[in-house]
Amino acid sequence: MGLDFTVVVRNLDYLLWGRLAEGELGGLLLTVIMAVSAGALSLLLGITLAVIAWRYAAIPRKLLFLWAELIRGVPLIFVIFWLYFLVPALFGGGIPNALSVILALAWFSSAAIMHSVLAGLQALPCSQYEAGIASGFTEFQVLRWILLPQALKNLIPSFVGLFASLIKDTSLAFIVNVPELTMVASQVNSRTQLFPTEIFLSIAALYFILCSVLSLIARSISNR
Amino acid sequence: MGFEFRYLTAAITLVLGLTGAAHADQLADIRKAGVLRAAVFDSNPPFGLVDEKTHSLVGYDIDFAKAFADKIGVKLELVPTNPANRIPLLTSGKVDLIVADITITPERAKVVDFSTPYFVTGQQFLVPAGSPDKLDGYATARIGAVKGTTGEQALKTRFPQARVLSYDDVPLALASLRNGSVQAITQDAEILAGLLAAAPDKDKYRLLPELLSKEEIGVGVKKDETALLAEVNKILVSLEQDGQAGQIFERWFGKGTKAPEPRNFKIVAP
Repeated sequence: MGLDFTVVVRNLDYLLWGRLAEGELGGLLLTVIMAVSAGALSLLLGITLAVIAWRYAAIPRKLLFLWAELIRGVPLIFVIFWLYFLVPALFGGGIPNALSVILALAWFSSAAIMHSVLAGLQALPCSQYEAGIASGFTEFQVLRWILLPQALKNLIPSFVGLFASLIKDTSLAFIVNVPELTMVASQVNSRTQLFPTEIFLSIAALYFILCSVLSLIARSISNR
Repeated sequence: MGFEFRYLTAAITLVLGLTGAAHADQLADIRKAGVLRAAVFDSNPPFGLVDEKTHSLVGYDIDFAKAFADKIGVKLELVPTNPANRIPLLTSGKVDLIVADITITPERAKVVDFSTPYFVTGQQFLVPAGSPDKLDGYATARIGAVKGTTGEQALKTRFPQARVLSYDDVPLALASLRNGSVQAITQDAEILAGLLAAAPDKDKYRLLPELLSKEEIGVGVKKDETALLAEVNKILVSLEQDGQAGQIFERWFGKGTKAPEPRNFKIVAP
């Protein structure tokens, strides 16, 4: 059986941006938006938690590690499920489905980012910290102006790996019918029924392009 | 009904119990909100699918959902879902009705209330041409079914010796029949008929006439919402009487469709 990619061409607009014309984000565009917002949220949360763990090495760090352990011990798909069904049950609904998945992804990734950033801070020589304090900086200023800029730069390759995973993990949103790339592709596949190879090869290529673009951007940032 | 599903339902029931989220009368709430929220399929033609041109949800179930909203006099909000999530959507309060090709079973009836059937069908086997005629010939075969459907359950009950492989949707099941991973696949008769009609290699397969089980499709309503259930039943019967139900059937299963079939049921009061 030869491959016939006309099905992808015919449905390309739907695969790329879903029902955008009707005011509903979807397709590749929704995948990108979910990945970017979950990435930004998890970066913010992860760095904040790493700073807390770095500054308060006693009980707060232990609690944060336990928290990260709990998240890492549960499959992401469960977290997505819980937020989708339990949040509305507890708080009476209201949050859009895509947002509940973004929160799940951000929550999940923040644990990995916290560990990364903490390791990055600890990897810097102690003399950096001591020199800062000796020059009259407060602890927070040392962190803000000396340690974090160096640590974050070193961590770019690790972040690229985490964000590439994040981009691919957005596809788990299909389990709760959020119309991101994988979901719209499976809708098209279910309607046409005859071209699963063509459809899923094409969306795999789209994910690959997305992750490659991320790597390129990261490389240009670290070369700057 | 899968293992994970039972846990999910238990968890949701627990949470609902703790928050005391039960309402006195959902029909009144729907009228007050001005919106009827219905769980429908987006990947299950011809019951629910995304139209290629308009990108809107269309299908047999969606036409019924529209009729319910019209007759109650409120707007309709369609919530796309998949077989495994439709009951949790209802029990967690994210939707008011399940109008998603859901077969009435005693096990499901413990968790949700069902309307009178608005579609009656049976599960058939799709097999390679030249395979045995009788279903009993597949008692120890490898058989494909769609995850979370009654066909999957019926197979396990009737052929405990068979190896049941569960797939996310029918196209995947057909793909595994094509490459020989399974010797037969089972699903509702008209879904298989539609699948076969569209397949370029349809001469290589055939549908066995014998039914695995009889399936009655109903609308799912939250337990003990008697007013809403009575309203749904009243609307269904009126749609049968004024001919609309017949028109909807004709649109999705009639002569102009890919896999026409006769309508051999009527919607009657429960």
